[in-house]
Amino acid sequence: MDFKNLPPVKEQIMKCVRCGKCRSVCPVFAELRYESAAPRGHVFMVQMLRDGVVKPSEEVSKRLTHCLMCENCSANCPSGIDIHELNAAARSYIEQKNPSIGKELLFDTLWTKPSLLNLSTSLMWGAQKAGLQKLARYTGLTKLLPGSLPQAEKILEAVPLRNARSMIPEINPARCEREYKIGYFLGCATDLLYPDIALAAIEVLTNNGCEVIVPRHSKCCGLPHIANGKLETAQSLAIHNCQIYNAYDFDYIITDCGSCSSALSAKNMHFLLGQTEHAQAGEIFAAKVMDLSKFLIDVLDISFPVNHNAKPITVTYHDPCHLANAQKIKDQPRELLRRIPGVKLAEMSDTNYCCGGSGTYSITHYQTSMKILDKKMAMIKLTGAETVATCCPSCTMQLNYGIRKHNMKCSVVHPIQLAREASKKKAVHSA
Amino acid sequence: MEGASVRKDLLSLLGKEKVLTEELDLMYYSYDSSFLTQLKPETPWAVVLPASTADVQAVMKYAYDHQINVVPRGAGTGETGGSVALNGGIVLDLSNFNEIVEIDQKNMQVIVRPGVIHAELNKRLAEYNLFFPPDPGSSQMCTVGGMVANNASGLRAVKYGCTEQYVLGLEIVLPNGDLIYAGGIKARTLKNVSGLNLTKLMVGSEGVLGVITQIRLRCWPKPKARGIVMAVFDSLDDAPATVLEIYQAGIMPSGMEILDSSAISAVNMYKPEINLPDAEAILLFEVDGNPPSVDYEGNVIQEVAGRRARTVEWSTEPKRMAQLWEGRSVTATAAARVRADGTRVFAGEDISVPLSKVADTLRAIRKLADKYGIKVVNYGHIGDGNVHTAPVINTSIPEEVEQVKKLVHEIHLLAIELNGSTTGEHGVGAVRRPYAEMEHGLAVEYMKKVKQAFDDKGIMNPNKLF
Repeated sequence: MDFKNLPPVKEQIMKCVRCGKCRSVCPVFAELRYESAAPRGHVFMVQMLRDGVVKPSEEVSKRLTHCLMCENCSANCPSGIDIHELNAAARSYIEQKNPSIGKELLFDTLWTKPSLLNLSTSLMWGAQKAGLQKLARYTGLTKLLPGSLPQAEKILEAVPLRNARSMIPEINPARCEREYKIGYFLGCATDLLYPDIALAAIEVLTNNGCEVIVPRHSKCCGLPHIANGKLETAQSLAIHNCQIYNAYDFDYIITDCGSCSSALSAKNMHFLLGQTEHAQAGEIFAAKVMDLSKFLIDVLDISFPVNHNAKPITVTYHDPCHLANAQKIKDQPRELLRRIPGVKLAEMSDTNYCCGGSGTYSITHYQTSMKILDKKMAMIKLTGAETVATCCPSCTMQLNYGIRKHNMKCSVVHPIQLAREASKKKAVHSA
Repeated sequence: MEGASVRKDLLSLLGKEKVLTEELDLMYYSYDSSFLTQLKPETPWAVVLPASTADVQAVMKYAYDHQINVVPRGAGTGETGGSVALNGGIVLDLSNFNEIVEIDQKNMQVIVRPGVIHAELNKRLAEYNLFFPPDPGSSQMCTVGGMVANNASGLRAVKYGCTEQYVLGLEIVLPNGDLIYAGGIKARTLKNVSGLNLTKLMVGSEGVLGVITQIRLRCWPKPKARGIVMAVFDSLDDAPATVLEIYQAGIMPSGMEILDSSAISAVNMYKPEINLPDAEAILLFEVDGNPPSVDYEGNVIQEVAGRRARTVEWSTEPKRMAQLWEGRSVTATAAARVRADGTRVFAGEDISVPLSKVADTLRAIRKLADKYGIKVVNYGHIGDGNVHTAPVINTSIPEEVEQVKKLVHEIHLLAIELNGSTTGEHGVGAVRRPYAEMEHGLAVEYMKKVKQAFDDKGIMNPNKLF
């Protein structure tokens, strides 16, 4: 990819007047307090990179990675700059000039092949008994990633033996009259770490008039690659996924993961494929992509059987950045929760303050990530909720770690898991 | 002295946690919001992040002994190059020195360190039913220290005035490292006429006299009610005329803001949900106080504005009020949205003119913009004659850069010609310094003598202000 001619680099850099609005909403800047961690600082540095004032070095990259890619800056920028896209483009440019074998192995080889990724997770399952450190040393993983792996080990939860892909058939017929044909996009984290979320989604969707196809050969959405300087790999993944899904006549392409739906959105597809011959395929694909909670409310208008005996639970909802900031989806997950009998929604003070997880950020920047997480957990604690709901597996992992770290007594679920329980008796589709 | 040895000395003086020395890290302190530093960023020799008054004193003593320039900086949201080391030296980033030391509810005052963010201060004060009234558009970003140094004001200055009216006392580190207290060493009074008023002298001194390390501010009781009138005009001239009629009706709103047609488009593009109507001009009036007075004032404004306005909207609904106020607050940077390949430049953006000449000023600015072929967005605090002009250009086209420089020069001259000032609230810094003699005449020489008394070696933020 030609860094200097990428649309955000070419058209948006100059729009930044350094007003500092981004600085005031950035969770990373709030912890580090250096201008080099401020989003406007990133825009400035990308400009210096474009103009050749600084070289595409690892030192520059180190500063640009003081960023969660949470998009809070972009969502709040008065000048409308996609700061996260500028940052991703610059990281990728630097990575091209300073290729790292570790990153190539992880992001270009392992994370582009679901079978290999699954194999690694299975190995991890076996190795967890012996402790991740041993495995990491054995596989050389410690050399791949910056940050401290022994600490990252604490974040990673028990890996399930079987992934979602192995438990869910490719074709899942509707269990009542079919209204929609759905292509289900199974994200890596849901597939490998939280397969129950996918099982719940398939159950609720098929019970509500959806035929759900889970294409066997879909690959990662590409978001980890975008965040780690691998734009070209993200581009190939996007092209691959477009080919797979565009071959079907789906009404919608649904995913339970906020990060995936953001990576597959029209905006991001335009960023990745807009200047390529695959632009149109990207548009056709992205036009059908919808986050699960939005689909359940806006399209299915889902309802649940009346249940006066439903066990009352207090739930607080954490807005995943890629859902709330990137896609402005805030109401639908809450509405879904409100419709579930027994659920009492208790909002925390700053619902879309990032949890600090952000995919690989908690591994690469453990210390900062934990400071951000601590703020989030304090907000959750104040609600008194026994359940935290969120629509992103990366947030789920981070929040679960926060709960263990702070000895709290609550659990993290995807709203779809509560929805499945609520519709156990008989789902009623009122659309 | 060389930058390298300064960095080495500062490291041994304060330690690496408080001193940035790597070239890359320093580059991030080469800008503020000014067009000047957008065109030509200037990297300082070193950046110090003080955490105490003692840290600031240590830096100043060192700088004084070695005759090194020192530039205090808050959040770097200024628009004049004031917080950038344009001639080399040390930048003191005070934004991390941000403690709210004491909220003295009984004495209606608060003591803060300079790095406290304005919006955060008011959030804390609200817990005590207090507030610090000046309300800059950059409330969520700017530091209180920066507000004091620039005598900032903003959207509510029309009723509540500028920062200077609220500063009761200051702790100041002088260029030679001496520590002084303006407004009384131990004083907690609201009234104090003892001694020469160094507090007032320091407010708005833009860092050329010393470093402010602690601020004692007067707070006001937080009004219990608020309402906003939005009046929509088909003719730009009707807006300033309405403002005068509101005053004549005996009403003092807490805010009177104007947006011209381009500013309206910019706000709608930034936040479509605000949904401002298309018009030549929109006036926003805010009234605050006790509920009956808010209703009364709101009614009078609706009646008076309704004589000339196409439509009038009255809102006391918090969500709508927040939308309208936020829309106005962010116009400054959202202005760039009116042109796909455009950037809003901060230059010539802050003139202040007599109330009676606001209409002439707006017309003249439009004429000048046409003359130089530059698109401008006009907005501002019409209630006190403070007009913000946002030229929107493509900064990668050299001809446009040259044209805009000529335009803003003429805007500054226009202000002086109309018995106004080149700056109402953003300050002088480096960008409006060339107009100092034109505006102040012989007084500039006495300003220089005052600086000399505080800063005999001329190391404090040199080449700013005059």
